[in-house]
Amino acid sequence: MSEFGPIDEYKDLFENAPCGYLTIGSDGRITKVNATLTAWTGFEADKFVGRRLHQFLNMAGRIYYETHIAPLLRMQGFFNEFALDFETAAGDRLPVIANAAERRDPDGTPLFTALVVIKAADRRRYERQLVDSRSELQRGLATERETGELREQFIAVLGHDLRNPLAAISAGARILQRSGALQQQKELRVLDMINSTVTRMSDLIDNILDFARGRLGGGITLNRDADRPLGPVLEQVVDELRTASPQRVIETSFEIIDPVDCDRTRIGQLASNLIGNALTHGARDEPVRVGAKTEAGQFKLWVANAGDPIPAAAMEKLFEPFFRGNVRDSRQGLGLGLHIASQIAQAHGGRIEVTSTPDETRFVFTMLARRDELP
Amino acid sequence: MARLAPVILIVEDDLLIRLDSAETIESAGFEVVQAANADEAIAILTARPDIHVVFTDIQMPGSMDGLKLARFVRDRWPPIKIAATSGLVPVEDDDLPAGSVFLPKPYGGAQIIAALRQLTGTA
Repeated sequence: MSEFGPIDEYKDLFENAPCGYLTIGSDGRITKVNATLTAWTGFEADKFVGRRLHQFLNMAGRIYYETHIAPLLRMQGFFNEFALDFETAAGDRLPVIANAAERRDPDGTPLFTALVVIKAADRRRYERQLVDSRSELQRGLATERETGELREQFIAVLGHDLRNPLAAISAGARILQRSGALQQQKELRVLDMINSTVTRMSDLIDNILDFARGRLGGGITLNRDADRPLGPVLEQVVDELRTASPQRVIETSFEIIDPVDCDRTRIGQLASNLIGNALTHGARDEPVRVGAKTEAGQFKLWVANAGDPIPAAAMEKLFEPFFRGNVRDSRQGLGLGLHIASQIAQAHGGRIEVTSTPDETRFVFTMLARRDELP
Repeated sequence: MARLAPVILIVEDDLLIRLDSAETIESAGFEVVQAANADEAIAILTARPDIHVVFTDIQMPGSMDGLKLARFVRDRWPPIKIAATSGLVPVEDDDLPAGSVFLPKPYGGAQIIAALRQLTGTA
């Protein structure tokens, strides 16, 4: 047997354990405290004994102890993993994590409460940092949201400020056209080009605004109306594009017999984007064919053009924003047209499908002519 | 008995748009008077008792925008009908006096003529 007997070993384990020990008698006064805790707090053992635990805690710790820990201990006999702040003799804060358990005699009378205390400065700091970084994130998110709203307003204003001068150019061209003052072939051609440029730019602005709206929340909102006919809207879209591209042929066949529960302006925009795409990428000496019909409860709109097929690699990306294929001339847009068209299709619960062969490239938009009745 | 053509006052600060609208509306059989801002419009309305409809842009520089002009006209000359246009939507229903017509920009010639025929009862 060593001179360090079992009793001494236990005593050493109690006194110098890598955690603080403290026992509180049934009268609520401290009865024992180990050396580790006296070292951490800077109070000698005789300062602890006979006093109440809350006298060694900071204000927040006292309140928490009295309102939460003490009642729960009495009720359930233990309370684990709670955070407390001791106040050291030097006046510093000693953050700890503690477990407490009551010991009772066989009759259930409380004998004492044992409290184990683990220094938790790092852990508590870490927790504090987690809370801080979360609030920082939330602040960042709020700022981001504000920036987003500002950006949206900016884009809306920009859209309006771009549209106004564009409307003026378009009005000027119409005045010249009506006046009949321009008779030369070349002058008339210039007028045509002004008109086509206005239409292109106007479509670009529409698409930019929609993209901004889609990206900045809100998405594309629909103003559905099944009572008014869709045909005239599509006719008008085609007329505008014919005016804008007088050298191209656009053939139409519309058989819209049943009412279509859609946002007519949006479907017009979808058609305009698909036809614009066909005019840009299709063979210039071949017509672009546009059709629309209602059939078996569905509304279908298709746009077909001749020309080189869409490469397989491009097929997957067609509807992504800012995707631009290889285009011969300056008709290159932002690559938003098909993206917006697909967004409009989705908003209507419909879809756009593409087939592209050496004979023909065809985009088909399909949606239910009437929204499903709710079950 | 030949009816006189209804008189439309166009209030629009952009010259090209104003000219274009004026020609479009004239070609549909209306008589057109033009003003470049609300102050000019009020001067014309004060001088001429025969205006049927004020067709005004909403965003206009000057002491009054189109909405203020619309309310002013409704208070001072209640029988005059109002059509308003703007590229900034939405304009709330109660922004304009009751019975007014709103046309979002850009509007087509056919739309404005239909609106004016409706307001003047000459459809």
